[in-house]
Amino acid sequence: MKRFFYKWKVALIAFTAMVFTSACNKQLDVPSTRQASEEGHWTKYEDARAGLLGMYGLFRAALADNNAYWVLGELRNGDFEAVSRPDLKAVIEGNLNASFPLLNDVTNWRRFYAVINASNLFIERVEGCLADPRYTSSYYKLDVAQARAIRAFAYYMLVRTWGDVPLVTSTGEGNFENLARTNKEAVLGFAKNELMDVAGRLPYQYSTVDPDLVYPPNYYGRAAADWKNTLLGRLSAYAILAHIAALQGDYINVAVYSQFVLDNAARARLTTVTTGQLTGGLFLFSTDNVSWNQMIGFNFIYERGESSISGHIEQLTLANTTAFPMSKQLPDIYVNKDSIAVLFPRANGNDQRFGFNPLNGLATEAYFENFSSAIPVFKKIRVVDGGGGDGTFARYNSSIIFTRLEEMILLNAEALAVVGRGEEAIQKLNAIRSNRGIPGLNYTPQLDLITEIFAERRRELLGEGWRWYDLVRYNKLKRSNPAFNELIDEGGIYWPIAQDVLNRNANIRQNNYWNQ
Amino acid sequence: MRIVTSLALMRHFIFVFFVSCCTVASGQSDVSETPVADSDTSIAPPTNGVAILRTAQNIRGSLINEVPVKLIERQPYISVQQYLKGNVAGLYVQEPTGEPGTEQNMFIRGISSPLLSKRELFDQQPVVFVNGIPLTQDNPFAYEIQKYDFNRIGPATNLLAAYNQDNIESIEVIKDPVALASLGSMAANGAIWITTKNARSGFREISINSYYGYAAKPSVYVTNAAYENNFRQPFYNRFGSINDRLNYPPYLRDSTNADYYGASNWTDLYYQYSPTYNVDASLSGGSERANFRFFGGLTENANTADATSFTRYNGNFFINVAPVKWMMISSMLGYTRQQRERNRNIRDRLAEQRYIPDLTNPLTPNNVLYGSYLKNFDKDFATGAIDDNVNNMIQGYLAINATPFEGLAYNGRIGFDYNEGIRDVFWPRALLEGNNFVSNYFGYNQRLAVTNSLSYNWTVGQEGGLMLRGGQNFISDIYKYDYAYANNTPNDFIKINVVNGDPNAQEYLIPRGFLVSYFPGKMQSRLISFFGNATYTHQELLKLSAVVSREGSSNMQADNRWFTNYSGGIEYDFKNLVGESGTISSLIANASYGHIGKLLSDDRFNAGPAYRVDLGFTGEPTLGSYSGIGGLSRPYSSGWVGYGIPWAYSDQVNIGLHAGLLENRVRLGLDVYKKADKDMLLPMPIAAEWGYASSYKSGMEVDNTGLDFSFAAQILPEMQQNLSWLFTGNINYNKNSLAALPDGLSEVVMGTTKLETGKPVDAFWILKNNGVYSSDADVPVNPSTGRPMTYKGVTLKAGDPRWVDVNGDYTINDNDKVLEGNYMPKVSGGFGSNLAYNSFSLDFQFYFALKRMALNQYASSRLDFINTEVNNTINSVKEITFWEEKQNLSAYPIYNPWSPVVPYRLEQDLFLDNASYLKLRSVSLGYDLSRGGTKTAFKKCMLYLTGTNLLTFTGFKGDDPELINYNGIYNGYGLVNPRSLIIGIRMDF
Repeated sequence: MKRFFYKWKVALIAFTAMVFTSACNKQLDVPSTRQASEEGHWTKYEDARAGLLGMYGLFRAALADNNAYWVLGELRNGDFEAVSRPDLKAVIEGNLNASFPLLNDVTNWRRFYAVINASNLFIERVEGCLADPRYTSSYYKLDVAQARAIRAFAYYMLVRTWGDVPLVTSTGEGNFENLARTNKEAVLGFAKNELMDVAGRLPYQYSTVDPDLVYPPNYYGRAAADWKNTLLGRLSAYAILAHIAALQGDYINVAVYSQFVLDNAARARLTTVTTGQLTGGLFLFSTDNVSWNQMIGFNFIYERGESSISGHIEQLTLANTTAFPMSKQLPDIYVNKDSIAVLFPRANGNDQRFGFNPLNGLATEAYFENFSSAIPVFKKIRVVDGGGGDGTFARYNSSIIFTRLEEMILLNAEALAVVGRGEEAIQKLNAIRSNRGIPGLNYTPQLDLITEIFAERRRELLGEGWRWYDLVRYNKLKRSNPAFNELIDEGGIYWPIAQDVLNRNANIRQNNYWNQ
Repeated sequence: MRIVTSLALMRHFIFVFFVSCCTVASGQSDVSETPVADSDTSIAPPTNGVAILRTAQNIRGSLINEVPVKLIERQPYISVQQYLKGNVAGLYVQEPTGEPGTEQNMFIRGISSPLLSKRELFDQQPVVFVNGIPLTQDNPFAYEIQKYDFNRIGPATNLLAAYNQDNIESIEVIKDPVALASLGSMAANGAIWITTKNARSGFREISINSYYGYAAKPSVYVTNAAYENNFRQPFYNRFGSINDRLNYPPYLRDSTNADYYGASNWTDLYYQYSPTYNVDASLSGGSERANFRFFGGLTENANTADATSFTRYNGNFFINVAPVKWMMISSMLGYTRQQRERNRNIRDRLAEQRYIPDLTNPLTPNNVLYGSYLKNFDKDFATGAIDDNVNNMIQGYLAINATPFEGLAYNGRIGFDYNEGIRDVFWPRALLEGNNFVSNYFGYNQRLAVTNSLSYNWTVGQEGGLMLRGGQNFISDIYKYDYAYANNTPNDFIKINVVNGDPNAQEYLIPRGFLVSYFPGKMQSRLISFFGNATYTHQELLKLSAVVSREGSSNMQADNRWFTNYSGGIEYDFKNLVGESGTISSLIANASYGHIGKLLSDDRFNAGPAYRVDLGFTGEPTLGSYSGIGGLSRPYSSGWVGYGIPWAYSDQVNIGLHAGLLENRVRLGLDVYKKADKDMLLPMPIAAEWGYASSYKSGMEVDNTGLDFSFAAQILPEMQQNLSWLFTGNINYNKNSLAALPDGLSEVVMGTTKLETGKPVDAFWILKNNGVYSSDADVPVNPSTGRPMTYKGVTLKAGDPRWVDVNGDYTINDNDKVLEGNYMPKVSGGFGSNLAYNSFSLDFQFYFALKRMALNQYASSRLDFINTEVNNTINSVKEITFWEEKQNLSAYPIYNPWSPVVPYRLEQDLFLDNASYLKLRSVSLGYDLSRGGTKTAFKKCMLYLTGTNLLTFTGFKGDDPELINYNGIYNGYGLVNPRSLIIGIRMDF
């Protein structure tokens, strides 16, 4: 009997102890409100949406960080000059190993790999969201296709800047090995295959009613006019494919892919824009229909609180002008008058972008203001404070536009010219020229068509982050500049890799050209 | 939802508390009317419900250091950090600015992690207990939404400035491992134990204390544009191109411009004699069964610079009631309100505004123009700025001490600490290129602490005694803030956004007029512990103590939630050996060891890999959406967090020897210690190809070894003569060393910091200078390649620094940087003397920090004016103090400031300065009216005159070696530590 009670006592004590400790553990279960924990993530429609937009947001961050998109693409050997910043001067002169903080930051590729890691993770994990009935398989297929396209696009960006880069298709997740660089052709091949594979799964437009029920209507609760071409669609995939082919020098495919974009442009509501639209609303993502023309663009929507000070070319180029007073007196970079004269020769007449009015001799101020002063202000892109700003509050909303229809037309013309279809090429070129109010060219076999096309790209895409990569393609085609040939042959066309990246991974070697 | 319930709970609790106070108070008044002739001394003393295990209780002033409160009472200081400064061996205090009420830092026995950011700084702070309640502090998680981390958003007022020294009974600094272990993991960095004056029985006692004085204007050497022009000319003459001359800064270009080249008299407006004062009174009384104390005070502290000041209102109320003889119920309720007038620094303002205007033209040194600029800050001016900073703090407890049987004691307490910070800011258009700015912050930190313990005393054999105690602790914290800011309200008179309050309306609560950015933030954590203490004493000679506790923290991951702390100590009193009369009059030795867990202050580690909003980039940390839809990703910027993070812990050993010489007229205390902090988390750099800025890994170990030495010499004893003289001093020597890194690595580079095992964690990683290349031909040529020496690939030229090529590869890069110096002092301490003659007394106090280095960013950015100015970043801001010579820069070599190698970069030994100092902290002259001949109505009446911050002895190049940031960077931004003189009176009657 005593023994029986003893047993019960022990059991009772054990039971209370158990209840006690489990209650304690429950008290200690306080989830963080500042993050979403792994547990239960990737089970809901919202998780997929957040992950998808996260990838786009990270991509935008990679391009905007320290104005990398322009520092990497626009400045080197380009038309802009630095007013006084020595770091920008170093970039413009190609002294990319100068040790300014800016150069250390923009040569760091980590943010592009954050996009890639996020995409890898998304592709691996988003399947779990199918548990949510709202997340249908059409969402799933479309989202994964986008993630793969984003990843391929990030690899394109990496290769065109640094050449050989490590190809990462897994998520790591705590097991962070030191990978070596992969041959750039292999990386581009991977990106190309991925895009070829997913292009057909991407729609021309999002949120439209699809009679075949392949694509979800009202995608993530937003109308087609809300999305416009913000997300990567089928034409975006072909545009990236065309650029990958151009980077590989495979101009036959450039012609094919870019032609596909041109042929189907209307299906994504892409048009060419007038000069007024170009310097007016094109760079602001708004309810205006012209925003459809941001074919691949990363937007900063004013109403959604996405205005920022850095991450826009305006931060570098804008300054006080008589027409647009700002407190900043001088820009960081500007196009000097000699370069403007080269860009917009008098022979072209009154180019709508920049020219001289034959009646009164005054300059057309679509691209530049303060032309009469020593340092003109480049104002082609000027979206201040939601587009309505008067310049006193220098916060910007311009989208980072990678490509638009004009760019594709010119790329198509370039490809046609290279493959020897000059007459077709000149038609494309003349279409652009006439849009900007300059006379067309006549086709003659003597005409240096490629030079003309690149000259038009230089005018049309000024300030859009293309100049350096255009120069590389041009010189690869022409091979007429010995200094540039040396750059091409020795790998100097690629950027050095940040010391921080090299410190973190012993298997990464500096680009040879910058290793001397 | 949770906030609401917790607030409701809180309110409920306060209400119940008030009611109980009132009932107690009313009951008390009955008692005082009919005073009970209760001479029974067995009534339990007032309690705060907690007890720490003290070793060496009978020797204070060394192992558990006690701060000389008597001295502090006569100094116009306001914060706990200031009270402690220089008074305790092993405690080092940083005051990086003299601005009153700003945050200050304390370190007990060194740092156990490199101070990479304000988060690590926060994690190194000791815990402060006031009447046994562990205080909450502002959690640094708010920095995540900030663009710059100069100041935390909100009032950023020092929460430890809330305690009036006249209300403090004692301050102790606890360093002993056994005592720390008995306080739990919160105390792993050491603890400050503050006991306020409590209610007491007896005839009612009133004391009134007050002082009044001024902070004096410093004498500064002012400059104008001519000075700056002269400073720059040699650089232009030697290295400047025509183009560089064309880009000469506009404010220096025209020497006829009187705004810049004219009179430099801005100091008339910037530095002012500012009053600093205090008045407080307390009333206590009651019987032994029921007594009370009330304390109220008003303190104003001001700095001479930039019209900065700090105002504090204190109210404290204590009631002790013994309903039955064996039970004492004690309660406390304290309220403090702090207000702060902040500086008008441009940098601090721009950091809050998140906007960098065109900084080409600085403020003028001319007081007319500067005066019209200052007008924008005038609150009485119609469109003047608003910058209100308020903290409301409430603390309280209800504690029970019951001894129902001989030897058995129950201690219980429910305590809370709640403090809220409110900041309202409005800066008019004139201050930012025609853009105004409005922001609002409300945040609170809330802690509920419940503790219960039961102890029993046994008599073991004839001469032994054993005390056993067991109990439980529960602490629940909430940290919350709501922050919103907006630019460009319709005009400078409209400072709020009008919204439609009708929930049915379409534009319900949608702001119109201007766009508001809103950031809520909340963090919650809990800590549970069960503890057991044991103390065995034998013949009052030998004392053995042990502590075991099991603690669970909600900030740890589920599988590593619990940790066991344990510690043990031995103490032996050699009183039988030394005897009372010998040269050595007393001698006690002790040794103790503790194994104490270290808490994480951030809740983001408790879930392992997680998803966060991380769409921002450099300069835009808060961007959270893309196309207006929130996006989530892995924490690429803040670092990967994996599973299996164990508790970090601190193994501490202390061996002490305490001796009294010459009838204890000379008391010496020596402690030798080693603190090994292990398994700590460190954000380790990983291959960039995974996208993460870092990955948190545990395994860092930092060892601090050193010794504390304290002494007190009663050179002329108090008793016999009219003249008495006491000399006291303390000194600490501390050395830290990195013992291990995660993954068994031997070194790691994180930005500009390098950690190497075996080296100190607070070393600077710098290049070594060896002069200048006067011509291109001077640059050494690599014989194997025929190329001249480069800096990271850029060929060095004339005018570039001759950096030492440590590894001899003809390339200067990070491999040529060396670890040198340390920003924590190796030696610190203080000494003072109290001299009394009849009714007069004269006290002085010195403090010092030696073997300490600083990196001089002030000199670096002044010399690197080319890059500083053109980059137009927050570091290009020129304050009005730009027109003050804080340091003579002519001794530096002249390099080519346009060079692409950035010759005046900060990380070189050219800017490594000795920042050791010795300061005369205060001199105080007192006259005691109630002592000796003068008979007055007062129990005590003391008049005194105190001067503070009177003398500095230092070899430091900048203006003040104390005004250096926590991480050893001197940038000249700190406001002066003013000299002040006060006259005061202390009366008890």
